[in-house]
Amino acid sequence: MVETAITLAPPSRPGGLVARKLAAHLFTLLFLAAWEAASFVAPSYLLPSPVQVAQRLWIFVTSWRDLGHLGSSLFHVAAAIAISFAIGSLLALIPYYVPVLRLAIERRIGPFLNSFSAIGWTLLSIMWFGVSPLTVVFAISAVLVPFALVNMSAGLANLDPETIEMAESFTRRRARMFLLVIVPSLYPFIFATLRIMFGVAWKVTLTAELFGGNTGLGYMINLARQEFDTATIFAAIVLIIGFVHGMDRYVLAPLQASVSRHYAL
Amino acid sequence: MRFEQPSLRSALAERVIGEGVVLLALLAWWALARGLPEFILPGPVAVARRLVELLATPEFLWHVFTSTWRVLVSIAAALLIGGGLAFLAHGVPWLEGVIDERIKPVLNSFPSIGWAILAAIWFEPGDFGVIFVEVAILIPFCLINIAEGLRNIDRELMEMGRSFTRRRARILWRLTLPLLVPYGLTATRIAYGIAWKIALVAELLGAPSGIGYLMLKAQIAADSTTFLATCFAIVLMFVVGERLVIVPLERRFARR
Repeated sequence: MVETAITLAPPSRPGGLVARKLAAHLFTLLFLAAWEAASFVAPSYLLPSPVQVAQRLWIFVTSWRDLGHLGSSLFHVAAAIAISFAIGSLLALIPYYVPVLRLAIERRIGPFLNSFSAIGWTLLSIMWFGVSPLTVVFAISAVLVPFALVNMSAGLANLDPETIEMAESFTRRRARMFLLVIVPSLYPFIFATLRIMFGVAWKVTLTAELFGGNTGLGYMINLARQEFDTATIFAAIVLIIGFVHGMDRYVLAPLQASVSRHYAL
Repeated sequence: MRFEQPSLRSALAERVIGEGVVLLALLAWWALARGLPEFILPGPVAVARRLVELLATPEFLWHVFTSTWRVLVSIAAALLIGGGLAFLAHGVPWLEGVIDERIKPVLNSFPSIGWAILAAIWFEPGDFGVIFVEVAILIPFCLINIAEGLRNIDRELMEMGRSFTRRRARILWRLTLPLLVPYGLTATRIAYGIAWKIALVAELLGAPSGIGYLMLKAQIAADSTTFLATCFAIVLMFVVGERLVIVPLERRFARR
């Protein structure tokens, strides 16, 4: 089973900060230099130089057609995360309210979804839905559901029993308690889950698009591969790394940190 | 959550419903497959029969074996490289920035299909390319987990170790590595799950053998029965490997 435990941010160690920053930047420069040197030796269809990739990247961000592919990849990711988060949370909530179904969901449905390979879902959905956005979204969602299920179950298992008891003494209406107590105490887990899903979704999306999509970055990479246009492949990879890392570091992580602080566990 | 002592009856009901859901899913599959042509959705009986047939053919077993050893070698290599990187970041302070701020994020957000395509361009189709891709995909998971373990090492214990010996190798062997075992196991477990799920991509693009290659062949021939049977064979392999290797390992080291 894939475990998707939530880890907390490490405490940063002060001291030698400047030296470490310097080393990191030096490493980047060294890496680029090594890449440049290697690209002199290797033919450009094997390894394009960093300059070529940067040029291709510039063309990428100024061309509407290429940006359209990025947009449709984003759409696939967002749609799949929304769908699988809803399904996974629902599956996690069922055993909480109907304990007799716990074994069915946590020992039967969960492990099955968890061990079915991503490629299996992708190729299967191509057979069912043809080459279309629906195929891509279906395949990504199927892969993401177990991640949502495992994490949300962990969240529900960590609910504070004292808080629930207090809430029970205030109201007996389940819906009210769910909205005002259970959902807010789950916020940190919801954000952590979404963050993990975002990372995994990008890994799967490109595969799904490459085999079963007619738009998106994966499709673009596939075209470039057939034309031996390696610079485009590199540009797409660089773009994805930048985008995924940037989103995670500068949007999701601060958001999660502020939510965790707010609803301190 | 309140934990009530589960009575025998409710445990039994849970069990019955659990197996009932499986049965119901199979029935629904059977009913759905009856109205559809076989190349879209073959029935459960046909798939089960094909699965048994496949498991009895030496060629299929050879493909399964190929994929399995690639997965195992990749996990071992990824543990070594990821662990090595984590140790470097831990032991050499000025490398910490390089590994945590540069290598880790890049490897972590590198799309797996990107590795697969690059390997297809760079290497001849074969074992090396596949293992390269799987290792590249698995390294960040191992790196993150082992780094987490190194961060959580008890400082007092290390201090005690240093008061007994000044030989670093001895401390590493007797103290650091045993303390890291649980994290290494978690890393192995995660890597194992990811390897079967995502790393098979490599075999779709750059291998003349293995389960991924078989799946692609079945899919191109629109042979849904074989395709689904292969998918279930992977589920089976995964579960068997987990029960036979990972769970006993965890149980053994958890007791210490």
